[in-house]
Amino acid sequence: MSKKLKVVALLAGTLIVNGAALAEESFGGWLINFDRTKEVKPVTDKRYLKECGECHFAYQPGLLPARSWEKLLNADALKNHFGDNAEFDKDTLQAIHDYAVENAADKSFYKRSRKIALATAEGEAPLRITEVRYIKRKHKDIPEKIVKGNKDVKSLSNCNKCHTQADKGVFDNDTVSIPNYPDWDN
Amino acid sequence: MKCNIGFRNMVASACLAALSGLAYADDALQDIAIPSLVSTYTNGSKAYMLALNDADVAQKQATATPVTQATEFKPPMFSGSNAHKYMGLTTVALAGLTMLTAPGEGCEQNCPPPSQQPKRQTNGTHAKLAKAAAFMAAATLTTGVLNHWDDFHLEDGWTDPDNMHVMLGTAGALLMMYAVNKSAKSSVPTSHAAMAELGAAAMVVAIKLTW
Repeated sequence: MSKKLKVVALLAGTLIVNGAALAEESFGGWLINFDRTKEVKPVTDKRYLKECGECHFAYQPGLLPARSWEKLLNADALKNHFGDNAEFDKDTLQAIHDYAVENAADKSFYKRSRKIALATAEGEAPLRITEVRYIKRKHKDIPEKIVKGNKDVKSLSNCNKCHTQADKGVFDNDTVSIPNYPDWDN
Repeated sequence: MKCNIGFRNMVASACLAALSGLAYADDALQDIAIPSLVSTYTNGSKAYMLALNDADVAQKQATATPVTQATEFKPPMFSGSNAHKYMGLTTVALAGLTMLTAPGEGCEQNCPPPSQQPKRQTNGTHAKLAKAAAFMAAATLTTGVLNHWDDFHLEDGWTDPDNMHVMLGTAGALLMMYAVNKSAKSSVPTSHAAMAELGAAAMVVAIKLTW
């Protein structure tokens, strides 16, 4: 192997390795990263997983823009979190808030998060995942009877009931299996 | 019919395998649960109720829903979305191979008369790969339209990754097809590499945007 080729191979290898590490840090990191980033970044923070996942599906921060998380994750708002008290101690709240805001849709390089951010109008801060314009559009053709009328689903907010890989941040059509409606897309 | 023994054996084996498969499938269909106390087989059976001598228990058992074990969902290995993905990657790979097998630069300016130019190879490895790449690019476009038509929304702006994917992918495929067509129609070597390479590069960027 020629010296020039070896240098190029080494450079490419370094770029790939660094790219994986930098994937979410910068545009350059995303550009040279070969890992798939077409969905939503999965939750990696254990505290976020534990605290949020105790009561409901731990929604990936990339499903909402940062301004939505700012509105949702503050002490006052959590006193009435969709009808429930979900208060945290100060440290936990700060950690969860920071993780959500840092990984929000408008700060992510993951494709579906970018689409969510672009489809959300400027200044708009949806508080529910089901109010996100992109998500509403993706589900608009699904009849109510197979979501609300389905005893095993009940609401679009129960993402993981149909999106079998929702915990991995994967929401594509191939991974959808609607309980009681195995042939939903035929 | 002239047929060698090896081939006949293979056909016979395939038939036997198919037949045994059918028999097995039939067995599976016939695998009906034997009536038991909790099965719906006894539902509404007066003799059973009397034998049990307990109306309340009988009622509970008779109305119990048969338990069906939920099977774990596995995403399909072959789907329209996957086909589009693999066709796109194959297009880029073929375009790369086409580039590597290019015989040399074409001629557009200050060329010698056609009679003095070397005879064009229109069916060599390079040409075949180029045609395969163009065909695959067209197939990729088709599967993209069929499977992802609802991902294209202009109201999200030109910077939406799917919108850019559509534009760059389409432009890339068209450039590659144009380059192949230009070269195939010309009787003398003609410059088409830059256009084809630009098309392939556009497709690479399109893939990266939605990877």
